[in-house]
Amino acid sequence: MIRGIWDRETVALMLLAAFMPVALVWLWFGGAEAFLRLVLALIVSGLWHLIFMLARAQPPSFAGAVTALAVAILAPEELGLLRLILGISFGSVMAELVFGGWGRNVLNPATVTLAFLGFGFPAAPWPEPAIPVIWAAIPAALIGVLAGVMPGRVILGAALAPAAALALGADPAEALPAAALVLVLLVCDPVASAATRPGRWLNGILYGGLVVLFALHWEGAAPVQIAVSAALFASLAAPLLDESTIAIWLLRRRRRHG
Amino acid sequence: MLGTEFRAGLSLPIRTAPRAAGAGAVLLTEEAAISAAPDQDLRIEMIAAEGALVAQGAPVARLRAAPGIVLGAPMAGRIASVDLRPGRKLGEIVLFREDAAGRHAFDTAAALGDAGAGALRALLQGAGLWPLLRSRPFGHMPRPDEVPAAIFVMAADTRPFAPDPAQALTGRHEAFARGLDALARLTGGPVVLCQPKGAPLAEAGAARGRLRIVHVGARHPQGLAGLQMHHHHPARITATVWDIHAEDVAGLGALLETGLLPETRLVSLAGPALAETRLLRCQPGADLRGLSHGAVRPGNHVLLSGAPLDGRKAHWLGLRDRQVSVLARVPGGGARAHWFRAALGRAARPRPIIPTAALEQALGAAFPAAALVRALSAGDDETAIRLGALSLLEEDLALADYVTGAEPRLAALLRGMLARIEAEEAP
Repeated sequence: MIRGIWDRETVALMLLAAFMPVALVWLWFGGAEAFLRLVLALIVSGLWHLIFMLARAQPPSFAGAVTALAVAILAPEELGLLRLILGISFGSVMAELVFGGWGRNVLNPATVTLAFLGFGFPAAPWPEPAIPVIWAAIPAALIGVLAGVMPGRVILGAALAPAAALALGADPAEALPAAALVLVLLVCDPVASAATRPGRWLNGILYGGLVVLFALHWEGAAPVQIAVSAALFASLAAPLLDESTIAIWLLRRRRRHG
Repeated sequence: MLGTEFRAGLSLPIRTAPRAAGAGAVLLTEEAAISAAPDQDLRIEMIAAEGALVAQGAPVARLRAAPGIVLGAPMAGRIASVDLRPGRKLGEIVLFREDAAGRHAFDTAAALGDAGAGALRALLQGAGLWPLLRSRPFGHMPRPDEVPAAIFVMAADTRPFAPDPAQALTGRHEAFARGLDALARLTGGPVVLCQPKGAPLAEAGAARGRLRIVHVGARHPQGLAGLQMHHHHPARITATVWDIHAEDVAGLGALLETGLLPETRLVSLAGPALAETRLLRCQPGADLRGLSHGAVRPGNHVLLSGAPLDGRKAHWLGLRDRQVSVLARVPGGGARAHWFRAALGRAARPRPIIPTAALEQALGAAFPAAALVRALSAGDDETAIRLGALSLLEEDLALADYVTGAEPRLAALLRGMLARIEAEEAP
């Protein structure tokens, strides 16, 4: 009879809106070059959505734009047109569209794209996001969490691990700004992160822990590279975290209700 | 740190006009009917013939499968028409009001004695109160000899615009306590009274010392029986759990005391298409047009029996419903989408549901929401059962359906799943 608003496209649009502070600040500082990258990513991602709509009857989604934005901000530089197109195609198709589109995927397509580009073309330098762009991640996270489209527990969990490391005297500070940006753009994807409450805490802690570990022991890695790798592993572990959370929940219920 | 009872749930942006004066006034409509929902399978045999004059509460029809279970007349009147669907399934039995027919008095002496619960059961079934009970899993009327593992008495209702059960109980505490005592004789397990925060509606020793009072938060869906069962006493195939509205428990108490069935129930009439919201007392099965007469704004409307979220289009107030919702009809019956968009939408069904905070709150933060929704849309019966789907009914998922705009409706998926499980597993 009556119908609420939180269907898939609303969530995707809300995510886009949440990313707006980051996107605008990044465009302001990146100038025409950043703008061209964004347009390229949007076109490639949109084309694949179009192809899958025509070939497989999958409705296109604004989630493609979310992916394109994250890729444009975080992709390695000096790749050249062809490699960038190849990377975005790989991520969109293999991580999202072959599963049936956004909402059915396991990994965040932007994370897969960036990992593919990073591991495939290690010579390309990773970007160093300007400091204002990283500050803009804070309002982005706030909008996302308040609208309920980003899991706040992941963010809190991710903050725990570096805090613990700092308290113990380790110093991962160099990697932290980029890790915060990646946290908001990649890890807080509602689909690819864990979906249960304790699972989200664990997911955040795992991401933060991996960032600290890589920052301390991965010689010569760029901050964004560290964060993207940590995001990939945390995202891969998310279903496992969910499953174990549910198993514990079921065990506790069985004990209580027989 | 706030408890779950405060945090879980949503407040809904559905509007209604301010409540009219004279709340709780009696309004008996000229017509009323015993009707069945389209998906309800009640095969009946008439006891009173068409055209007969029946007293309020007098038996009108009985179930063919269980002749002890009777459907009673909702008001004194004349049986105007009997509409049975193929297979003698109940469609509707319409009555015209004639107050002269009086009220039917039941003999409660046997049920009051401590001889055993058998006589009490027979009274409940013979007086037409049995259909007010609902048994989970599967949500049917209980079988005549079914013994539940627990009974939930719902003195809280968080559905938007629901009438306050506490108001329905005002001045009837004695009858309510008597009804709770009777319920305790139907089960060996606890009688769980779900009520809002505040003074307890029954004394601790009520229901033969097996009363458990559960405090329920104010936000929907916490006042739904399914969610409370999930928290406190999950239903299983081998251990069914019943739920009944507190006002009906008071009615049962009154029946035991006086031999008369209550004539009215507290019903709220609300919705965005109304000029004034009404809270009134009317007979069960009242005519919805009669109830909303004079309160509706001009225009094209839909009358629902039930809350705006889980109500169904109806002509008569449903057996267990205490709400009438009046919504504006979507103009043009929902403009047809372009054929390409429509085809694309159909091809992607079931549409993916993103696990947002809205989804989690719509399920009362009581389930691993994403896993449950995935199990429902994949038709994974076993996982859904493990996650607690057997305690749920369509009304419990109505809020999630509303919030996510799920397509197909989760409630429909759950009903299909329950039907499948029932066919495979039920005794």
